Amino acid sequence: MAATVLTLIARRLLAAIPILLIVSALLFCVLRALPVDPAAMSLPPNATIAEIEAKRREMGLDRPLPEQYVIWLRGALRGDFGHSIQFRRAAGALVAATLPATIQLAVAAMVLAGILGLGGGLLLFRVRGTVLEPVADLLSILLLSIPEFLWGLILLFVFGVALRVLPFTGEVAPDLPVPHLTGFILLDSLTIGRFDIFVSACQHLILPAAALGLAFSPTIMRILRSSLFDVYHEDYIQQARLRGLSERHVLLGHALKNASLPTLTLAGVQFGILFSGTLLVEVIYSYPGMGNLMVDAVRNADLPLIQAIGLTYCIVVLLINTAVDSLYVVLNPKLRVR
Amino acid sequence: MAGPAVRSLRSPRVLIALTMIAGIASCAVFAGAIAPHGPGEQNLLAILTPPAWTVGGDSNYPLGTDSLGRDVLSRLIYGARTAMIVAFFAPLGAMIIGSILAHISGYFGGVVDWIIGRMVDVWMSFPPVILSLILMVGLGVGISKVILAIVLVDWTRFCRVLRSEVLIVTRHDYVAAARLLGFTHWQTIVREVLPATLPLLITLVSVEMAIAVVVEAILSFVGLGVGADQPAWGQMIADARQYVYQSPWNLLLPIFAIFLTVTAFNLLGDGLRRTLDVRLAEAGR
Repeated sequence: MAATVLTLIARRLLAAIPILLIVSALLFCVLRALPVDPAAMSLPPNATIAEIEAKRREMGLDRPLPEQYVIWLRGALRGDFGHSIQFRRAAGALVAATLPATIQLAVAAMVLAGILGLGGGLLLFRVRGTVLEPVADLLSILLLSIPEFLWGLILLFVFGVALRVLPFTGEVAPDLPVPHLTGFILLDSLTIGRFDIFVSACQHLILPAAALGLAFSPTIMRILRSSLFDVYHEDYIQQARLRGLSERHVLLGHALKNASLPTLTLAGVQFGILFSGTLLVEVIYSYPGMGNLMVDAVRNADLPLIQAIGLTYCIVVLLINTAVDSLYVVLNPKLRVR
Repeated sequence: MAGPAVRSLRSPRVLIALTMIAGIASCAVFAGAIAPHGPGEQNLLAILTPPAWTVGGDSNYPLGTDSLGRDVLSRLIYGARTAMIVAFFAPLGAMIIGSILAHISGYFGGVVDWIIGRMVDVWMSFPPVILSLILMVGLGVGISKVILAIVLVDWTRFCRVLRSEVLIVTRHDYVAAARLLGFTHWQTIVREVLPATLPLLITLVSVEMAIAVVVEAILSFVGLGVGADQPAWGQMIADARQYVYQSPWNLLLPIFAIFLTVTAFNLLGDGLRRTLDVRLAEAGR
């Protein structure tokens, strides 16, 4: 069983490679087609034409596009994504420095979205056929209308500005030092035994994570509800009732277990989207993750950095999708038997 | 087709949504007549004034002013114009590209279907936010660029969903009958397949309108949207975010405007889905 799952994961990862190659090639072509000259940008404004030409040659910009791509790809495989024009540092190092903060935010948001989605889905299902159903239904559409961008601003307004109970800028209070071990500030602060940093980081994480979690929970709610509807038509539900089980036991013990499978697959796709949703939330809360770095790079047309970050987002989303697929097989006994 | 259309118009969801959209659209169309000030008109002597009903408010600026002394109400109204233009044209473009490819893909199948399918796969492995940001770097700012970016990102939504619908419709006997009657492929698609996929298409468009409004707001918020000279809700939010303690209203009002517009389009989509989808409508859900 473990072996089959492993082969499956391996196969999925192999299938992702051609997609990644095409994605990186597309990214490369789009960014090279821009009316921006990376050579001229990486030199001081008073550089002569000859100097720019020399820099172009040095950066390989005078070669044909396919050759440039192969050079870039060879570097990328060794973890060398070129140098950021504005920061004058390796683009790969910049991404590596900000990725942990983004992952931390995404994981917190996913947990929250999962909990809210599960609770909300069960609630939506429980009110079926009652007077509350249209109300709950309308409410879920209303919630579905609020994207993470708006949630971020609404929460910032309510808890940060109006009630002033939570901080809404940065990842930790400005007077506290940021420990640099793994980059995951929650983990690092505990490792060095600084509880004050840990608490402050948690407080700073609440609003951004809640904004993302709230934005993605309605989809999970609605998927779970319709899966529960489907499952309730099955014979074993009737059987469980005939055995005298309480409605609560039927729902939580039997229906939920089977409804959670389709929910997981459909919600899994959402988690990939959620990860890229961190970008906006980071910008709103000035959270020092990859999203803010990306916006910074985009504003300054920092091509090598845009390329490195864009590719990182794609890789993470592909990995999440692969993980969800594999989890589906692990959890689904029907697929396990072959 | 008269049946579902009438049924849709009787649905309270659709009616409420259409009323809301009509309201926002008339703000957009008659912005010049309704707005008390020009959208770019600055009054540096009246910066960040609160709304007229609060302490320190000025009746000249009913909803207050922003950090450059521009009238918030007027900018909200002109912002509706920007939002509505994007909400109308972007889904239209995405629908045209997406549905043409979906019909070709689902109807002909085979190699064409495979190629289009892989294209969609590759496209969708780019997270939408990232892809639109990268496109905006290349396209530059401006309302037409925002529309183009949304079209280039979101045609896949239409293509993927419609393709499976086309696949189902194409298997029906009446499509084969049309071919036997001597219809060309083109005629069969336009006269037999398209009418059957139209309800889904309309629903998708209304949902895409909501998405377009949000994407425009996001791009303008990040500063890569319609450009500084064009008033947009996202820009107002970005400006208000910096002065959030001095004038919280400036943040709240454009958020509310976006929320209202997005809810209206989503409600329309939901109402249309319930009334236009024959299977759903018959089940009474």
